[in-house]
Amino acid sequence: MSGLRDKLKRTIEGAVRDAGEVPEELTTNFGHIFRSTPRILVEPRSADDVAAAIRFAREEGLTVATRGAGHSQSHLGLSDGGILLAMGSLDRILGIDRDRLTADVEGGVLWGDLLARLKPLGLAPPVLTNNLNVTVGGTLSVAGIGVASFRYGTQGDQVGELDVVTGSGETVTCSWERNTDLFESVIAGLGQTGVITRARLKLRRVKPMTRTYYLLYDDGRRFLDDARTAMDSGRWDHLESWASPSPQGTKPVGGRRQIFARWFFPFHTTVEFDEGALPDDKALLSGLRPYETLYVDDLPTYEFFGRLEPVFDLWKRGGTWEHVHAWTECVMPWETAPDLLEAILPDLPPSILVGGHVLLWPAKGATSRSRYFMRPPGENLVGFGILPAIPPRYWEEAKPMLDMASRLAIAMGGKRYLSGYVEFTAEEWREHFGPMWEPLVAAKRRYDPDAILNPGFVPLDARRAAAEPSR
Amino acid sequence: MSGIPFGTPEWAAALRDEVNRSSEYRNAASRWGVGFNGNILLAFEVDPALPDPLYLFVALSAGRCDRAEFTRGPSHPEAGFTLRAPFSLWREILERRTMAAAAILTGKMRVEGDKMTLLKQAGANRALIHCTGSVPTIFPAPPSAR
Repeated sequence: MSGLRDKLKRTIEGAVRDAGEVPEELTTNFGHIFRSTPRILVEPRSADDVAAAIRFAREEGLTVATRGAGHSQSHLGLSDGGILLAMGSLDRILGIDRDRLTADVEGGVLWGDLLARLKPLGLAPPVLTNNLNVTVGGTLSVAGIGVASFRYGTQGDQVGELDVVTGSGETVTCSWERNTDLFESVIAGLGQTGVITRARLKLRRVKPMTRTYYLLYDDGRRFLDDARTAMDSGRWDHLESWASPSPQGTKPVGGRRQIFARWFFPFHTTVEFDEGALPDDKALLSGLRPYETLYVDDLPTYEFFGRLEPVFDLWKRGGTWEHVHAWTECVMPWETAPDLLEAILPDLPPSILVGGHVLLWPAKGATSRSRYFMRPPGENLVGFGILPAIPPRYWEEAKPMLDMASRLAIAMGGKRYLSGYVEFTAEEWREHFGPMWEPLVAAKRRYDPDAILNPGFVPLDARRAAAEPSR
Repeated sequence: MSGIPFGTPEWAAALRDEVNRSSEYRNAASRWGVGFNGNILLAFEVDPALPDPLYLFVALSAGRCDRAEFTRGPSHPEAGFTLRAPFSLWREILERRTMAAAAILTGKMRVEGDKMTLLKQAGANRALIHCTGSVPTIFPAPPSAR
């Protein structure tokens, strides 16, 4: 074992460790569903290290898994007997261009760290995820969605250029204009064709303050109507919403009594503003019909970006951060989203959401041009996610309910968001990507001919595909 | 073993009474069959555990069952929905080893009628299945026991 490590170590500047030296936390991810141990752990110091590790893996017949902050929940960011590239060591912010409004960062940079550097400059990436302790390379590989996505699409849509080490071990610079095929297969491509070592991210100027209106709805359809009004009005910089349970007692569900809830729909609409130019509340809220306006909060913009950190801290202190996270997220057609809510929420036990929540985000389909971020057709879309934290002993009990929610969402025209818990059959994977399945297989074959990158999740076996007769 | 033989008029009547006694069904299905035909034909298809097919017609509307009866045909003129599956799968569902909605979504159970309506009212259909599974039943003996 150490022979392999020593051999690899001779070509790599960063740390190289044996299976026995792998920290426990790197054998699972945020999902806490799957566990596996890599044969070799590599903490690269440069893109050359990544390329060397990939070339070594090809020579030795090993697979390579990439891991950012390990926030995925399925079999991503994990290696079972191969090389695990812990990308967090590629954490340098290489440069910020204030005129061109771009930042060049290595793939393992945390969004929160980038934001800290941008704060004195009054700049920020257009789209930020709720959890800022995730890496640039990680979220770009799944798309990256946030409360400004209804305006700016995914984080992947806000990338200008990437350096990628392909499964062949070749380092390639690519963009929307250059080596486009590779670029597009890396954005939301689940790490199947290459490893992101550098990203040039677009930035925007932010105003120093935010005002958030905490609107509450007691009717899902009315909330969705107003969410569309808010999106179309062009008044808002950030839109965030949930389905929030108010437990009412117990009722039988399939003969077993369980706690049931009346569901409410908090809708947080946020506008950025300059000091001394206070927002016009009445004008902003005109046309919206909440059941109640609970609170109006003024917050410095960079604090707004980190607004969920106290919630995550609470979850960590409460122990639920270590529970099973089988987040079941999907993007729904606008037309069927209310039906999905009405089918799922009445029987969803609120207790499943201790340390979690139900997301419900309005979105615009045309804001994204990502090829492999699969979403339903249509102008208006709804992001819906059941984000539970399940004590491990109840996981098997909860699993059928989440599987059912996933299948129901898909039957109603939804597409799963793939950073969460996904357990598709081979046929379901094909259905998920639809007409993009064959292009993805072709890209895999082209850029990762030995199919060594990130196995165990999406079943893209390029070698088998290559052996199939061409049609 | 106490129970009512499956496939008999007594069993169908017991199901009707079970549905009408169930507060779960009354609440979950309050909108089922309102503005559309909510009558369902359950087709128990032949497999090694059931030598001849059985067809159960249940007339359902607004949280009530007005009629339940085993009928002859593979179809029923008053049915708004027909659910077809091999008997063994039905038995798994009635014994709560498989979820009916999962069987529908995976294609193991075939649906005639508006599948979306059926899926949208998942709670109503879960409650109906629970009522069906709650009738004390003597199932046909498996071939080895005959």
